[in-house]
Amino acid sequence: MRPLTEEESKVVFTKLANYIGKNLVHLIDRTDEPYCFRLQKDRVYYVSESSMRLGISVARPNLVSLGTCFGKFSKSGKFKLHITALDYVAQYAKYKVWIKPNGEMPFLYGNNIVKAHLGRITEDTPEHQGVVVFSMSDIPLGFGVTARSTIDTRKLDPTAIIVFHQADVGEYLRDEDTLF
Amino acid sequence: MDVSGILASHAAKYKSVTVEKETPLEVDAGSLMVTDLNPIDEESYNANLEEHLQSLARDGAQALFASLFTLPTRPSADGPLAQLPPPTYQLPRAKPLPKPKPPTKWEVFASAKGIQKKVRDKKEWDEEKQEWVNRWGRDGKNKQLEDQWITEVPLHADVDFDPRKVARDERKARVAKNEKQRDQNLARAAGKGPREERKRDIEKTLATTRISTASMGKFDKKLDGEKKVRGVKRKFDPTEAPIDHEKEASLALISRMESDSKKTRREPQPEESVLNVRKAVRFASKGRGGIALGRESAGGRGRGRGGRGRGKR
Repeated sequence: MRPLTEEESKVVFTKLANYIGKNLVHLIDRTDEPYCFRLQKDRVYYVSESSMRLGISVARPNLVSLGTCFGKFSKSGKFKLHITALDYVAQYAKYKVWIKPNGEMPFLYGNNIVKAHLGRITEDTPEHQGVVVFSMSDIPLGFGVTARSTIDTRKLDPTAIIVFHQADVGEYLRDEDTLF
Repeated sequence: MDVSGILASHAAKYKSVTVEKETPLEVDAGSLMVTDLNPIDEESYNANLEEHLQSLARDGAQALFASLFTLPTRPSADGPLAQLPPPTYQLPRAKPLPKPKPPTKWEVFASAKGIQKKVRDKKEWDEEKQEWVNRWGRDGKNKQLEDQWITEVPLHADVDFDPRKVARDERKARVAKNEKQRDQNLARAAGKGPREERKRDIEKTLATTRISTASMGKFDKKLDGEKKVRGVKRKFDPTEAPIDHEKEASLALISRMESDSKKTRREPQPEESVLNVRKAVRFASKGRGGIALGRESAGGRGRGRGGRGRGKR
C-alpha cells in the first residue's frame, strides 16, 4: 500500500473528473473525516485515514482490500473505474441518464443503452461525456459514456445507441472474483 | 486463637512489596527503567518459562513503583503526580555520528608536506600607534597602505599612478581568490567539479553502450570486475506521513489540471446552445459587428451612421 505518485493521481483524477467534474474536490477535501487514495497491487482504494492507518500494519501480500476500491491501473498505465466507485460517483455526478424499467435488464447484462430505453437525460450533456445511469426511481445502476450530445439524440431512431456501457451493478455478480 | 494459617495464606496471596535479590536492581526513575543484573536462574527458566518471566517482570515493576512512591509529589487535578528526577541512564545516540568534513585542497597538501596549522590572532601589534589593531576588517592592518596620508611612489611611475588604488585592487584580488578557492573546495566536496561531471558522463555512456547490443546486453561476454548496472530506484511518498500534505498536493494538482484544460481548450464551450451567436450577430448587423448593432438599437440613426464609419476597420 502506498500513496499515488503525481502522474498516477493525475490519471485517476482526470478519469473521475469526467464523471463528477469539479465535485472531485469534495472527495479529497471532506468535512467529516480525512480520506485519501491508496494504491495496493495496482488497485486504487479510497479510504479513510483511520482505516488506512490500521491497514499499514498488514503485510502487502496479506492485504486483500481496504476502504472502497475505485478501480485499477492497467499494465499500460490507464485507469479503469470499477462499479464499486458508483456510490461516490453517483453522489456527485454532473450528468445523469435515467432509463425506463424495460431498459434496466439489458443494461444490467452489460449492453449499451439505446434510445428506446432512454427515460430522461440531463439537459446539456455533451458528446463523449461520462454519465451515471439511474433507474426511473433514482437508483444508480452504473455509468457510461454518451455517444451523442442531448441535442443530437432528438433526431435519432429508437435503436441508435445513446450511452456506451462502461460498468453496471450486474458486475457485482459477473466479476465477483476480480472486482475488489 | 491460631491465626498463623490465615496469615500464611494471606502472605501467599500478596507477595512482599520489597524485592530481595543477590544484586540489587538498578532503578532509573527518570526514564522509568529497571535493570536486573542478576544471572538467570536456570532451573526455574527451564521448568516454566512463562512463570519465570512473569516473576522477573513483577519484581522489576515492584521495584520501580517502590522507587516512584519515594519521590516528591505535586498535587494536580488528576491526583498527586510524582516529580521524576533527571534520567541517569545514558541512552545511545539515535543518529549516527556526523561525517567529518572533506579536507580542502590546502589541507590535503599541508598534511602531505607535514605542515602544522598555526592559529593567527585576529589582533596585531601596531608599532606606530602603540596598540593592538585588527589584522583585517574594520580599521584593519591590511588597509594601512590605502589609508596612510603619504605614500611612496616607485621611480618612473605613470603620471596617473594611484598607489591607493593599486593597494586596494591587490587586496580585493586576494579576497576574490580566496572566495574562488572556497567555492572550488565546496564543489569538490559535493562531487560537482568538472572532473566528477566527466566521470559521470563516461559511466553513463558505458552503461548505454552495454545494453546497446542485439540482446540488450544479456548474452555479452562479461569482463573481469565488471559491475552490474543498477537502474534508478523508484521512490514513493511514505504511507504513514500526515495526510494534510497529501490533501494539499492533490488539491493543487486538481487546480493545475483545471487551469491546463482552460489553456488548451480552444473548441467552443460545450454549454453553448444550438444558436451560433457569432454568425447570428454578423447576420443581424449586416457584417458590422456587435458593437455597431448595440449602438444602433440604443441610439438614433445619426449616431448609428457615425458608428458605421468607425466600425469599418
